[in-house]
Amino acid sequence: MMDHSKIEKNLGLMLVMVLFAISIGGLIEVVPLFFIQGTVEDVKTAEGIKMVRPYSPLELRGRDIYIREGCYLCHSQMIRPFRDEAMRYGHYSLAAESQYDHPFQWGSKRTGPDLARVGKKYSNEWQVQHLTAPRSMVPESVMPNYPWLLANDLDYSDVGDRMAALRITGVPYSTNKAEYDRNVKDFGAEVAKQLHIPDAQKSLIEQAQTGNYDGNAANVSEMDAVVAYLQVLGTMVDFSKLDNDAFVKYR
Amino acid sequence: MASVAIGSSEQYNYDVVRKFTIMALIWGAVGMLVGVFIASELAWPFLNFDFPYITFGRIRPVHTGAVIFGFGGSALFATSYYVVQRTCQARLLSDGMAAFTFWGWQLIIVLAALGDVLGYSQGREYAEMEWPIDLLIAVVWVTYAIVYIGTIMKRKEPHIYVANWFYLAFILAVALLHIFNNLAIPVSLTKSYPLFSGAQDAMVQWWYGHNAVGFFLTAAFLGMMYYFVPKQAGRPIYSYRLSIVHFWALIFMYMWAGTHHLHWTAIPDWTSTLAATFSIMLLMPSWGGMINGIMTMSGAWDKLRTDPILRFLIVALSFYGMSTFEGPMMSLKDVNALSHYTDWTVGHVHSGALGFVAMISFGTIYHLIPRLWDTRMFSTKLITVHFWLATIGTLMYITAMWISGIMQGLMWRAYDDFGNLQYSFAESVAAMHPYYAMRALGGAVFLTGMILMLYNCFMTISQSKNVPAGGLATSAA
Amino acid sequence: MEWLMWFTKLENTKPLGLLIFFITFCAILFYVFGDRKRGERLEAHKNMPFQDD
Repeated sequence: MMDHSKIEKNLGLMLVMVLFAISIGGLIEVVPLFFIQGTVEDVKTAEGIKMVRPYSPLELRGRDIYIREGCYLCHSQMIRPFRDEAMRYGHYSLAAESQYDHPFQWGSKRTGPDLARVGKKYSNEWQVQHLTAPRSMVPESVMPNYPWLLANDLDYSDVGDRMAALRITGVPYSTNKAEYDRNVKDFGAEVAKQLHIPDAQKSLIEQAQTGNYDGNAANVSEMDAVVAYLQVLGTMVDFSKLDNDAFVKYR
Repeated sequence: MASVAIGSSEQYNYDVVRKFTIMALIWGAVGMLVGVFIASELAWPFLNFDFPYITFGRIRPVHTGAVIFGFGGSALFATSYYVVQRTCQARLLSDGMAAFTFWGWQLIIVLAALGDVLGYSQGREYAEMEWPIDLLIAVVWVTYAIVYIGTIMKRKEPHIYVANWFYLAFILAVALLHIFNNLAIPVSLTKSYPLFSGAQDAMVQWWYGHNAVGFFLTAAFLGMMYYFVPKQAGRPIYSYRLSIVHFWALIFMYMWAGTHHLHWTAIPDWTSTLAATFSIMLLMPSWGGMINGIMTMSGAWDKLRTDPILRFLIVALSFYGMSTFEGPMMSLKDVNALSHYTDWTVGHVHSGALGFVAMISFGTIYHLIPRLWDTRMFSTKLITVHFWLATIGTLMYITAMWISGIMQGLMWRAYDDFGNLQYSFAESVAAMHPYYAMRALGGAVFLTGMILMLYNCFMTISQSKNVPAGGLATSAA
Repeated sequence: MEWLMWFTKLENTKPLGLLIFFITFCAILFYVFGDRKRGERLEAHKNMPFQDD
């Protein structure tokens, strides 16, 4: 019969037993999610184009700034399937919508409102004014002012490197013709151009100038990037084109 | 000069224990000060002063890093090195490696804080440090494991005391969690992208986040409890058999429970259910630890009246029992639907962090300091004052967060007569103001106690005739 | 042998899990607290922290 006194005296045995005990839970709960097909929904249009796409270079840089400023500590990006959240924020979030989010930004605290579907809800002008001086738009707000976003020029010199790093993790940014063509097939020609790493800086400047997010077309500011990111949040999946119960089977 | 002290300073390496103890006090004061400041920012947002480096989003990780890894981590290094030497009656495996863990760990805390302030963040809660710091942590941690395990191998007695089991589980689990949660592809020295994304990343992060609480802030501090409560009470632990059962149950079950941080999110439902089930079951091993600690006092309850250090330890265990009841309750999906995303979670964390982790560390450090410097505490009265400040501060903090958290949850889901949402989000923010102010005040009360402790310990050390070589006691002035 | 099929059905994992854990729990309790002599042996080490004084 196995005797516990043996473990109490045998350091090696104890270490092995402890490792065993602490590994089981993670192995059973976390590891399967990487292999079960249904973890991330496959959301496509009728034409077979994937609705959720990787971020454009400008949006990606905006997301980096979102992380730099620690926005996730007060804002969630995960709408739960409740009536009040549907009324306040919109359709509940899908796993597919954050499939290119390295890291995920679901958050754990709503000191401010959820941002999973904040895209297109407010105008660019509102976003710029609100980020610069939140209390000028929402008097009750406790959010810090972020005036430096408008003042700082965006450093986009290494945006290609950033996309290349994400490509290693599996985000379908393209480096060559074959990958580019695959993206045209998966996401459409317009999007595929944005995902091409050799053209990253060009795409970024182009989007900042046409979008003119910060109201100043002369330069590309950090504000351009952040607003571009906020305006795309939750807008990729067009729920009007999907069956309402389509996602139940994934839960 | 007492001959006992000389003898034991040759027998044991107390130098590294002293250093970690002092740094635990300093990081405690710094981390709690930052905590009070960010709490005040939420109550009075002008305190952000339009200055990037002190905005809430950037210095909240400074607070969590300084209190968890600076204060808690240093306290754990100090006590684990002390306990392992005394229960194995063996000197640490290597003085050089132990010193390396000290300087390495302090460097990590400073670098992490600098990184947070400058905005170099991985964007993962409680793991904001970028990859070069993560590598340094891995190196220091492996060294720590070698020193700790090596010291146990040198033990005189075949039996390994229960406190060491908990410290061992903590060291192994934190290594495992740290490595898998921080897998990333670097872009530059200050920027990387995590290997995983979305739902899978969320699972990994909360497997880490929850078990950082489970092993860093619970198992390890229970190890502390298993040595210092019996020592201070002068009686052996209530039941060694109970400690066997609750040790294995605790370390086994904790690892399943992380997903309760992701209830109702875009992860498969079965993971959520499984996590909730294990969270409920966790109540038993958690209370096993509490009962074992508190019942050690059985038959000697009167000591609580005269000994403020013992009072710290026992009240810490009571808060531990309370928050490990609250936790399983909040992991029920229906309760979580209300509590998640609200201040209730913040209150729950602090009832464990202030009530259990900080209080048991205070008691332990008050026990340690006179022994490490071979002297007596400068003032027992100040310990009593500290005890009351800590208790009242904690209660103010968690009460404020209970009210604001439940109120938020209810306001968000309130409907008017026509079935529309009754409150805008901004209205719920405005309603929080008095409680945010009360929380900041509670934190300030707790911080005041911490500063009294710093003063008391400083006076104790500087009055001790037996200043250790290396002169840390004088340099701390 | 037909009854063995019960274990293969996915919807039975919850009662099965409950059964396994409850039996394990009872077995551990019996092992630790069931035998007086073993109990005394397991308790023998509780005085360790006081041996260093």
